Amino acid sequence: MAEPSPRLLEAVARDLRPVRPLAAPWRRALVLLPLGFLLLVGVPWFWGIRKNISELGMWLAWGLSAVQALAGLAVVGAALREGVPGRKLTPAALAVTLASSATLLALITWVTAQYAPVVVRPEVRVRWVWECLGIATLSGIPALAAVAWLAWRLLPNRPWIAGALAGLGAGLMADAGMRLFCWVSEPEHVALSHGGAILILMVAGALLSRFAETWKGWRGR
Amino acid sequence: MSDERNLDGELVAEMVAYQNGDLEAFQRLFRALAAELGRFFAATVRDVSQRDDLVQETFLALHRVRQTYLPPLPVRPWVFGIARNVERRHRRSWRRRGAHETPLVDSADAAEAAEAISGSSPSLDRRALASALRRLPASRREAWVLHHVHGLSFAEIAARLRIGLDAAKLRSSRAMIALRSLLGDARRG
Repeated sequence: MAEPSPRLLEAVARDLRPVRPLAAPWRRALVLLPLGFLLLVGVPWFWGIRKNISELGMWLAWGLSAVQALAGLAVVGAALREGVPGRKLTPAALAVTLASSATLLALITWVTAQYAPVVVRPEVRVRWVWECLGIATLSGIPALAAVAWLAWRLLPNRPWIAGALAGLGAGLMADAGMRLFCWVSEPEHVALSHGGAILILMVAGALLSRFAETWKGWRGR
Repeated sequence: MSDERNLDGELVAEMVAYQNGDLEAFQRLFRALAAELGRFFAATVRDVSQRDDLVQETFLALHRVRQTYLPPLPVRPWVFGIARNVERRHRRSWRRRGAHETPLVDSADAAEAAEAISGSSPSLDRRALASALRRLPASRREAWVLHHVHGLSFAEIAARLRIGLDAAKLRSSRAMIALRSLLGDARRG
């Protein structure tokens, strides 16, 4: 079979408008820069700024959050690269992305706990975990939706991984704003509620990506 | 090595022309890559006609996501990335059908189909048609019989076989071409 079938040629000829190649993944991730900024400023503006921000100072509060938001954008770039056929991340690159995200979160949590320690009363501990989990997850949804919009035309070879990375990036970006609202610096609280929200967004991203792949397959094959 | 690099360069140029709307560039890409893709699918699909279908499906998928190719990156890894997706979808739908469904049309239905068709076209040799139908690959026979004998639309066939609309049309039209050729041979013989 050296020639395309008449049906294939007809389908191609029907929709042969010139297309512009997509920009490089990192450049497309930069499209989300304004959203990252909005989340960084919007979450504390909407829910209120953390009570003990003065203990952290400008750089440890806003500076570290900005670093975390930029790290989220970088992870989104990795997700967009993973979405291009034949451009999947190597296992080493994937491991570095996941490990550096976890390390960054742990480091920021540790620094925050050192400079602005908070002891949570036992009677509100569980309730606050649930509240923060809900708010952090909700804050991440716009970012995840924006990444899904950017990734819609892609065709990842590993939809689970591309989606999970998109969720991780969105979660990091949203949590950068969350930590400017939530004054609880206890590592257990941060791990369970803020880390939990990032995990939920990763699972949501993976499911969304897998669903999109199946849907496009049914529609297009 | 330098031949390979030249070929890669040519593929990049064809791909860029195709992204700019050149249909002939698409055809040249097909000619350059179809055989390699066929060999790629041969690792998992034994049926030659199914392999051909998968190659066609790969190019259809490639057409839909052609903007994701970023020049001047090599074309082959991108095309084979798409082929891997097509192959995965094929495996998944094959597994699902194998697990939950019996074939909609098996070779015994060929005789029934021949009976039905020859009833409306007396000039057709019923036995030759039944025999030609049996010689078709199951996937094509299925689509052809569902359309021409049971009168299903291609959209209905696509839904029943869990394939795309284009794949349903493609299978049926290929079955028709093969039938014409087989019946022509039978008449001449």
